[in-house]
Amino acid sequence: MPRLDGKYDYIVVGNSAAGVNAAEALRSFDRNGSLAIFGEEDLPVYSRPMISNLVAGEADLQKMRYRKKNFYNVNKIDFFRGVRITKLNAKSRAVVTAEGQSYAWRKLLLATGSLPFRPPIAGLEEVPYHTFVNYQDAQRLIKATKAPGTRALIIGAGLIGVKAAEALYARGAKVTIVEMMERMLPAALDEEASRMVQAICENKGLHVITGECVEQVISDDGGKNTRGGTARLRNGEEIGFDLLVVAVGVVPRMELAQQAGLAINRGVLVDQYLRTSQEDIYAAGDVAEAFDLVWGEPRVNALWPNATLQGRYAGWNMAGGKRKYPGSQSMNSVEFFGLPVLSAGIVNPPDDSYEVLTSRMAGGGYRKVVLRDDVLVGMLVAGEVEKAGILTSLIQEKAKVRRFKQSLLTDSFGHIYLPKAVRQARVQEGQAGILSLVEK
Amino acid sequence: MIRIYPREEYCIGCRLCEIHCIAQHSSSKDLIKAFKKERRPSKRVEVEEAGHVSFALQCRHCEEAPCVSACISGAMSKDEKTGVVTNDPQRCIGCWTCILVCPFGAVRRSAVEHKVVAKCDFCPDLEIPACVANCPNEALIMEEI
Repeated sequence: MPRLDGKYDYIVVGNSAAGVNAAEALRSFDRNGSLAIFGEEDLPVYSRPMISNLVAGEADLQKMRYRKKNFYNVNKIDFFRGVRITKLNAKSRAVVTAEGQSYAWRKLLLATGSLPFRPPIAGLEEVPYHTFVNYQDAQRLIKATKAPGTRALIIGAGLIGVKAAEALYARGAKVTIVEMMERMLPAALDEEASRMVQAICENKGLHVITGECVEQVISDDGGKNTRGGTARLRNGEEIGFDLLVVAVGVVPRMELAQQAGLAINRGVLVDQYLRTSQEDIYAAGDVAEAFDLVWGEPRVNALWPNATLQGRYAGWNMAGGKRKYPGSQSMNSVEFFGLPVLSAGIVNPPDDSYEVLTSRMAGGGYRKVVLRDDVLVGMLVAGEVEKAGILTSLIQEKAKVRRFKQSLLTDSFGHIYLPKAVRQARVQEGQAGILSLVEK
Repeated sequence: MIRIYPREEYCIGCRLCEIHCIAQHSSSKDLIKAFKKERRPSKRVEVEEAGHVSFALQCRHCEEAPCVSACISGAMSKDEKTGVVTNDPQRCIGCWTCILVCPFGAVRRSAVEHKVVAKCDFCPDLEIPACVANCPNEALIMEEI
């Protein structure tokens, strides 16, 4: 039941990774403060990344539930389900819903996430194109692929595009994927791993076109927005489709932050306590531009694990704990058609001041580490991924790895190769990776 | 909360901890059957070895567990009372994010279940976890922290 006076100690705008983790963390500090979460989707929190499993038929909404059914009750949260916040007033400390209801807060978290970027492609609005970020998108795609052999065209071979490709393939669609850059997953992977993913996709019969972009979309029904069409590439090639998915990245949803006059750059700027430029307003998740511990400066890292961690720290700090956010990093864990690929930090060094070591494993796996001045700054493992987290943690620690850097590439790599003192601190004290960065 | 600590000065690398861990997580929980007749489950403790040094390592059941906060499905959770971090195989979808973020390399892909991870669960059916109980040299000890 919403509070009659409309006043809350804490209001969280956004009911996904960052918002829900913030609420949970906040409750570990403050059991009784009044707390509301606003979620614009008419659903309790679910795992957004699992929409690909949903479309592929591997999961249903029940399995996608990110928290138990009683989550909101147990945590004493007034959950405003399907209620969108459209206005934020920092001075009067109020948010206003689309229906015009006003709610006051003492501390506010903006966890509004991101929206798919809509590329300027001529004719795009004349076909019923799809995006692939939420439950509704997944439901639309399931409906659109009822007939076997549906010709699906995906623009963008980033994480979202490739997961969409895999899911649509599982639905029996004939999939073509067009990527503007020279290779698939250009941001998350390096050339070699991209080549491995592309080989496995092509092996399954997916049509992969790289280094090309869709310049124009021509509707089959004269723009009535009911059917597919034809996409014309820059090189003149034409590809007919029944279904078009646009997956060229996401942009932070900053409307509320802009209204309130918060400092923004690519995302809403936050300090190391996840505070925005406005007192008592915090931001976390895809919308936030928070400290990146590898680059040593703020960055938008619109990835689930970063969102959850930012949410947790924001929640603690809102409730009066003072905990410094150790920082985000680019990290990806994906599996395509049985090939697992994990990466963290800098996998494509921007210049030659970095040292790159790679190895091919006997079992066909691939491993790469990136160093700068003997400090581990990036890693990628494909095929054999066990213990990759140790590498991630060494990146977080900015560990000097000169004495054991060759061992990083072996599949037997583990704590045994670390200097004894380091190993003892990690294993005995549990001081490793991000855990060692937490200020108590 | 309890934690299992390795003592590398006592470990002789016999791997009995691994063997008994596998047996304990098999369907029969019988050593011979687990190795000869059944699909062999993943070990949740691993002996690391180089030269004369060896020790066994399993999940640290971290206070602020990175695998729990990074888990995309909500399958990984930490029991508030016991502090034990466990993975629910029914909810796990094998995205391997926990493998990516575990600083101890203590989560692995399950050898018997499809797209599910396996990790130390402190042997809920036993008073003392199998790896600790079967270490002949007390190179694995359990301590309250």
